[in-house]
Amino acid sequence: MSDTAKGSLMPDTSDPTPVVQSGSDGPEARAWTGRASRGLVTIIIATVALFVVSLVVQPESLSRSSIQGMLPFAAVLAIIALGQTLVIQQGGIDLSVPGTVSLSVIIVTHYPNGNSGKLLPAILLAYAAALAAGLLTGWFVSRLGMSAIVTTLGTNALLYAAVLGISGGSPTSTTSAMHTIATGQFLGVSHAVYFAVVITAVVGFLIKRSVAGRRFEAVGANPAAADLVGLRVRRHQLGAYVWASLLYCTAGILLGGIVTTPGAFQGDSQLLPSVAAVVLGGTSLLGGKGSPVASAVAALFLSQLDQFVLTLGVNPAASNIVQALALAAGVAVYTVNWTALRGWLRRRGSVRDVLRT
Amino acid sequence: MSSRTVRRVVFASLGVLTMAISACSINTGGPANNNTQAAAGKPANANVPSWCGSKQISLALADGFGDNNWRKVTVGEAKAEIAKCPSVTSFSYTDGQGNTQKAISDIQGLVAKGTTAMVVFPDAGQAVLPALRSAFKAGVVTVPYRVSPGGTAGQDYDYYISTDFKQAGVLWANWLVKVLNGKGNVLNLGGPPANSQSLAEYQGMQSVLKNYPNIKFVGTTPYEVTNWDAATTQQVVTAALAKYPKIDAITTDFGAALDSAFPAFAQAGRQVPAIATEDANQLACDWQTQKAAGKGFQLFTVSSQNAMSRLAVDFAVAKASGGVIPKSTVFPQSAFEDSVSGQPHPVTCDKSLPPDAFVSSTLSQAQQIAALK
Repeated sequence: MSDTAKGSLMPDTSDPTPVVQSGSDGPEARAWTGRASRGLVTIIIATVALFVVSLVVQPESLSRSSIQGMLPFAAVLAIIALGQTLVIQQGGIDLSVPGTVSLSVIIVTHYPNGNSGKLLPAILLAYAAALAAGLLTGWFVSRLGMSAIVTTLGTNALLYAAVLGISGGSPTSTTSAMHTIATGQFLGVSHAVYFAVVITAVVGFLIKRSVAGRRFEAVGANPAAADLVGLRVRRHQLGAYVWASLLYCTAGILLGGIVTTPGAFQGDSQLLPSVAAVVLGGTSLLGGKGSPVASAVAALFLSQLDQFVLTLGVNPAASNIVQALALAAGVAVYTVNWTALRGWLRRRGSVRDVLRT
Repeated sequence: MSSRTVRRVVFASLGVLTMAISACSINTGGPANNNTQAAAGKPANANVPSWCGSKQISLALADGFGDNNWRKVTVGEAKAEIAKCPSVTSFSYTDGQGNTQKAISDIQGLVAKGTTAMVVFPDAGQAVLPALRSAFKAGVVTVPYRVSPGGTAGQDYDYYISTDFKQAGVLWANWLVKVLNGKGNVLNLGGPPANSQSLAEYQGMQSVLKNYPNIKFVGTTPYEVTNWDAATTQQVVTAALAKYPKIDAITTDFGAALDSAFPAFAQAGRQVPAIATEDANQLACDWQTQKAAGKGFQLFTVSSQNAMSRLAVDFAVAKASGGVIPKSTVFPQSAFEDSVSGQPHPVTCDKSLPPDAFVSSTLSQAQQIAALK
């Protein structure tokens, strides 16, 4: 980990995870632009490998209809994972994903109640609600220094109260306009995918290639040092929660269009995959550097894994095991000290050689 | 990350989700209920139903969870039933909000308040049995329904009102045999892993289909796990369509989630196959939309059984007020819609009702709209 701070703004040596070794950016790295972070490379390789395995083992999981069914969900998860990445980069974690996503779904389905004319105000209302939730969480975490877990859990409970208050817990079908916006196709790919790609590109560019993004990462990596060099730490932390909340809201709106009769708690199943995508994308749970693009690719990985396992038709217990193994393998790439492990194996090998002679 | 917190959130959410599914409750195969001894009671007068005795009582409905469309309509049914009996002088309702602790303290609170009789939806199953038992021992007429709390009628509570989900499976299978002409591939969708309702339905179907070897289940048996979630249903159906070139029928205990999967059929360039499920206004309306678009499919539904709460109320009121106790504690499964025969009903989309309403409910339109508010 000797190169942790090399060429980096961040005098951070406290971060024990090897993820920050990625060293793709910073003034030096910027000279050879285009070099992807280790997290991104790893997850891209893993995703390609998964698609190859899918092709060999279960080619039906890559059929056109299967891909078209999977991609919109991957797009939703990718957008959520982007938001989660921002929060985790600031050393936090956002457990209000289910609440924000569910509330957005409920607002864009219940408020118009099938009338496409009322869709636009509903979308604006959903964003306003998400903004309020993000500001609330961000304020508590950044100003009052409350723990992110507790605060976001509390926000989530408030959001659920709103969900129940509006919906009474029952589903309403989505408007036809929303369904078209989310699942209509352009060049054979559903709109949701374009949304995800554009949003990922924008967030990725802002975080990795803009001055504001550099500051954002610096604050996340070492708030104390960032404060010393005059960065507004609390404002950046607040910003992470607000932007994340708006991203969840976007994902929720899309989800409301993709699932034509979304349940009242449609966001529930998104929390753990969102954290998993961030971890698989190589962003350290301790904050600091992260790759939004890698998180989005990891979302694709997780969604295809789901689809693959579903198509395999194994029983639910086995499918959980397959997913757990994939996650464990993904996390192991970052957390296992492979150099030490290789050294240890080599030593054992040589000991055996010695014994043999 | 505190895994305990996360786990709690996940469990709480899963719980809420599970509750959010209309008729989908877990019946762990309760005790055989033969407690239908000849009734000694008599009705208060000729203008009231026989179960309504002359003794004045207060009645309570303790719901383990109250916030979804199915529960709301079901409570509406219970209230409409109670309104028939003037001997019930007061009625109270408690909502456990999916929280076992609250459900238990609700029951204890009702006992302390001096309620004469209570109907209980014991969502948490065995966990509320001690509360039911202490209410029963305190002399409150206690009638759990739909989800078995374990225990024994007459010792732990007065009556347990049950339904047989196997029977729904039998009804589905009989229809499948007809509509598939004894030959075809069936995909069965169910709720969370190892839930007894989906399992019982599968067993019910098996008991019929074993005589028709050419009707085969494709996909995971006993059922594909959908967690009764619309998005998961959509993903499961997409995967099944990719894998099985021929699916002739789908059976599911949550029809309203299935219509989220209709776009998956269009994407795969396939027709929506025959569907056997529980009734939902949403599904019936979508059936008409698809039919109008030239993509019609055969549909069969069993009743969502909202009226089951009426039977529970009848038992509780009869026992407490001295009325005639009804004959059977089992609420029968019944066919509701059949697009082939039109019997007992053709597919019925009621546009004046919200999509989350149940056309099979015995409530009037106005009553059901009020109940869903």
